[in-house]
Amino acid sequence: MPNITIDGIEFEAEEGWTVLEVARFLGLEIPTFCYNDGLSPWGGCRLCVVEIGEGENTKLVSSCTYPVQEGLKIRTASKKVVNARKVLIELLLASCPLSKTIQDLAAKLGVTRTRFKPDWEDCVYCGLCVRICDEQMGAKAIGFADRGGKLKITTPFDVKSDVCRTCGACMYICPACQLRCQGPEPPGVVCGGCYNSLQPTCTDYYDDYMCYEGLKGECGTCIREAPEDKSQQQTERKKK
Amino acid sequence: MKRIKTSEDLQKLHKHLVKNKEEKFISVSSGTCGQARGSQKIIDAFEKEAQGKIEIKVTGCHGFCEAEPNIIIYPQGIFYQHLKPEDVENIVEDTIILGRVIDKHLYKDPESGKPYTYQEDIPFYKVQKRNLLGNNPFIDPTIIDDYLAMYGYLSLDKALKLEPDEVIENIKNAGLRGRGGAGFPTGKKWEMARQQKADVKYVICNADEGDPGAYMDRSLLEGNPHSIIEGMIIGAYAIGAKEGWMYVRNEYPLAVKNISIAIEQARELGFLGENILGSGFNFDLKIARGSGAFVCGEETALIQSIEGKRGSPKQRPPYPVEKGLFGKPTNINNVETWANIPKIIDKGAGWFSKIGTKTSKGTKIFSLVGKVKNTGLVEVPMGMTLGEVIFDIGGGIPDEKEFKAVQTGGPSGGCIPKKLMDLPVDYESLTQAGSIMGSGGMIVMDENTCMVDIARYFLNFLQDESCGKCLSCRKGIQKMLEIVTDITNGKGKEEDLKTLEDLAYVVKDVSMCGLGQTAPNPVLGTLRYFRNEYLDHIKKKRCVAGVCKEIVSSPCQHTCPIDTEASVYISLIVKGRYEEALGVIKKDNPFASVLSRVCNHLCETRCRAGEGGEPIAIRNLKRFVTDYGLKKGIMLKAESGKKKRKEKVAIIGSGPSGLTCGFYLAQKGYGITVFEKLDVVGGMLSVAIPAYRLPRDILNADIEYIKSAGVDIHTNSALGKDFSLDDLFNEGYKAVFVATGAHKSLKLNIPGEDSRGILSSMHVLSSINLGKGVEIGKRVGVIGGGNSAVDAARAVLRIGQTEKVTIFYRRTIAEMPAFKEEVQTALDEGIVIEFLTSPKRIISEGGRLKACEFLRMRLGEVDESGRRKPLTVDGSEFTAELDTLIIAISEQADTSFVDEKSQLKLSRWGTIVVDEETLVTNRKGVFAGGDVVTGPNTVVDAVAAGKIVAESIEQFLTGKEIKREYNVTRPSVYIEPVELTEEEAAETKRPIMPSLSLQDRKSNFKEVEGGFNEEMAVNEARRCLRCDLETKDGQKFLEKLKQTSVVGQEV
Repeated sequence: MPNITIDGIEFEAEEGWTVLEVARFLGLEIPTFCYNDGLSPWGGCRLCVVEIGEGENTKLVSSCTYPVQEGLKIRTASKKVVNARKVLIELLLASCPLSKTIQDLAAKLGVTRTRFKPDWEDCVYCGLCVRICDEQMGAKAIGFADRGGKLKITTPFDVKSDVCRTCGACMYICPACQLRCQGPEPPGVVCGGCYNSLQPTCTDYYDDYMCYEGLKGECGTCIREAPEDKSQQQTERKKK
Repeated sequence: MKRIKTSEDLQKLHKHLVKNKEEKFISVSSGTCGQARGSQKIIDAFEKEAQGKIEIKVTGCHGFCEAEPNIIIYPQGIFYQHLKPEDVENIVEDTIILGRVIDKHLYKDPESGKPYTYQEDIPFYKVQKRNLLGNNPFIDPTIIDDYLAMYGYLSLDKALKLEPDEVIENIKNAGLRGRGGAGFPTGKKWEMARQQKADVKYVICNADEGDPGAYMDRSLLEGNPHSIIEGMIIGAYAIGAKEGWMYVRNEYPLAVKNISIAIEQARELGFLGENILGSGFNFDLKIARGSGAFVCGEETALIQSIEGKRGSPKQRPPYPVEKGLFGKPTNINNVETWANIPKIIDKGAGWFSKIGTKTSKGTKIFSLVGKVKNTGLVEVPMGMTLGEVIFDIGGGIPDEKEFKAVQTGGPSGGCIPKKLMDLPVDYESLTQAGSIMGSGGMIVMDENTCMVDIARYFLNFLQDESCGKCLSCRKGIQKMLEIVTDITNGKGKEEDLKTLEDLAYVVKDVSMCGLGQTAPNPVLGTLRYFRNEYLDHIKKKRCVAGVCKEIVSSPCQHTCPIDTEASVYISLIVKGRYEEALGVIKKDNPFASVLSRVCNHLCETRCRAGEGGEPIAIRNLKRFVTDYGLKKGIMLKAESGKKKRKEKVAIIGSGPSGLTCGFYLAQKGYGITVFEKLDVVGGMLSVAIPAYRLPRDILNADIEYIKSAGVDIHTNSALGKDFSLDDLFNEGYKAVFVATGAHKSLKLNIPGEDSRGILSSMHVLSSINLGKGVEIGKRVGVIGGGNSAVDAARAVLRIGQTEKVTIFYRRTIAEMPAFKEEVQTALDEGIVIEFLTSPKRIISEGGRLKACEFLRMRLGEVDESGRRKPLTVDGSEFTAELDTLIIAISEQADTSFVDEKSQLKLSRWGTIVVDEETLVTNRKGVFAGGDVVTGPNTVVDAVAAGKIVAESIEQFLTGKEIKREYNVTRPSVYIEPVELTEEEAAETKRPIMPSLSLQDRKSNFKEVEGGFNEEMAVNEARRCLRCDLETKDGQKFLEKLKQTSVVGQEV
């Protein structure tokens, strides 16, 4: 039974538990994205990172995959961790700005805009679909293929699958296509960045409303300007 | 081959092979790089010519890639380089049979030309400690006997007689650290693997060397595969493994082939298999080939790959020593680590640990590549400094370029700048400097490398190679690449650097495997040491190295301080449109004719045609056009601004800076008065540059052109003496530009300097130029190395009774600041230059110079500036008898006119302090530029300052904010390109400037250079590579051309 210290709490954990499981047991909140209770942990989104070690020798590890060991010292919300989570959610926002799951997570972390150019992708490569197809549905129809910029989730050699039963589990669990931006939201939630459809930021730059029903465009102005910036810019434009 | 069953059999075989070893043979370097350079043809030729006369041994890489195809002739060790198949016949006849050395095949020192006959003497090899690579020339990798004859498998024999724990103790005491990059203590890893309790254990050799530019492991695998196999058998014995894998990247076919042959032969002889050498130990080796993924060099991904899965790294713990291949304890080491094992067992831990530093033991092989003279594989003891590796072994930077940085550790490493050249090469020092040792790649970069582009290059590489699991690595690298690419395209914003850094640190901290954790290193490293380059790209839209195409367009125009559109006027010359070309030149340059003679042509140093060829003669082509204009009387006068604005501006100094500023402001309509202290106009152009370099009528033509824009010049009016700054403002001038230059000569401050016969170069040159007499004796000495010294030397050679002129300079010819062409011409004219000398004192008689005593200097270590510091050699005094000594060590600005009333702030060198971008001084309405701000500088920089001040003054006078505007470089118009025929492209060479013969130059100041004629100019202009067409805008122009020509055809 390894003895660990987590956020100052001394705790005797069960052998084989992960840091995330310990944290959940103790009620310490660690955000996750690619983690799902019913599936094996993947450790790809890096949002669940915690800082282990002490003094000069600390490092950030994903708590969903890290097994507890005797003497482990963990901090779930150190400065480095909180800062890292903010940048990571900015990356997710840039990847898939329309995903409500990502927007809500961003709002929780206090991030209202991203500094990166939006990619308007449909997939954030969290691997949940791969794991549910393999572990829960037993079909193993899809997996990761290629790497780097060409990474994709697909059937082997992109050939129509013989084992796919079209059960829809992959779509059910996907955070990117799960919930889409429903339209204007009150301020405080990220989607409020485009204020309301009577004063969208995109029409400052383009003739047409760019974001209607998830249409892709290179605009991204709503997620790149914080509401405060936007109102200041509008006043300045009126001045000239 | 018969199986070797016992230790005694091995010892007997070894003795037998040693006794019968053939001492005479030719070793041909034939690794993959050697083959790419043509070694196979050399081998074929030798096999034909030398059949029966001498043995030919085809070996792996000898390490000196620059010299390949090369051979070493044993037993003497004669080294022949750069061979062609035609050379082989003579080599066999002369050297092999008659024993004569053929000079033309010998390696020669690039600076002194000294030839080296024997391989061991060549400095490249001599400074190294080639414990591992040194054996390559003696071993044919496909013949196991060669390895056995050297020391083959004797270490295995020794190890099998020890207990496994003793073997591990040995490796621990030796202090060997992993050579793959992370530097984990090898002995400790073996110990941990040994302690694991399992029925099956594995050893793996990581031969997936993926770093671009690194090929050390390849050379060991191709050239000496048995050393690695032996190391692995010893390691397997130590930890208790019976199976091993060699994971070789598929892109190394020769390595795979040689390793396979070696394993076969080792198995045949019984070094692999059951009951090895009768010890009861069983071990065998398999080969797994990589499939082209850089990430599979990471140990957990490598294991996945061998298991047949996707090469995606796994989280550690558990570490491979606990749970590795197929879930069993696995010890993975790099190729070079394994290769070190046999020697450590053989010679003992003490031998190994004596080499290197306290924490980093042994030798390390580096691939020294890039902008360095001696490219190749170098093996040095840990702790040798970077400077020693790059300059002593590498020979320094070729083409007389300046060293800028060295990238170590491949895409995971950082760049180390000039100032850290005495950093010792070891794990800790490199990490502290922001880089890593990595696998040993060392890419040397010179002044023509853009550090932002380097960061972009590595990010691009890593983006393709990331496995894609971690959001931070996959997306983070992509976003860093986007930001850096925007910066290289001139679209960077100031906030970008903070965004880049924030992102980089998160990617570094949060990613799961080494690829992601070290991916930000190139960005962070370049930001740490070269932040100003990033800022230049973002704020000033400048790429100093001339690399980023979307910012630079044509490097010639981009580098020009006055933004002259060289590519445009050169392409107009091709079309015969000389008058238009003249217009293009003159719009950015009121001193067109002057600069066509005296400019230091930075454009030519950046010209892309100059990479591996001769740069375009841009300055001489400008002269062709300006001379044409003068001959035909075109554009002799400028458009005048006609003083249509009411404000008037005063300019102090009629040098190039002041007159340029006056010209542009006058054209804008301001009333311009130039106040000149002397009674001649032109500043240094008039008083310092001799007429054989800048004829007086050429200078006058430009001055008349400038005056015609509406510039009035008052001579004999000195600021501080005849009037003050306050007077000017009181008289109604709204702005003042101080451009008084730097004319006060510096003194040497040695005893006796005030003797008669000692003159400053300024005094000599101005006296000659202005027609005043100056007494010059028969034997003249000139002290200095800049243009002033060379001008003075060449000028006095042409007057009076001068018989011998000697220039004394304290460094060597490579460091002389004077224009290279000037130095060469001076030598041609018979001027002697004594290098590495420094004046100590004057010997005078009756107050008159009789001789000067000098000390000899020698070049010491490379200092912070990247140059070797000159140090005096004690007791080396010598005297030179001289009649006249000219001091030309430099000038400084004479700002004695600045007093309390003028309110101007001065620097500690007496120059006027200004804002570096807008050239405003601390006093409102007063601007300063040119040599009075920078100290002695070039003419074109003075002209550039004049242009900047004209803009600033206009902004000031129209009530706008005084701000520099920066844009990416683009030509104002695109001209259709020409197609060169293949013959033309292959054969056209840069024309040599016609010059007066040495005889015709004597005793006169006629212009020495004659200028190109029309044929030379057009042919040279056709050579221009038209870099301006390579930007997106340029490409659009070409597209449009194609379309219109197609349309034209249809009609």
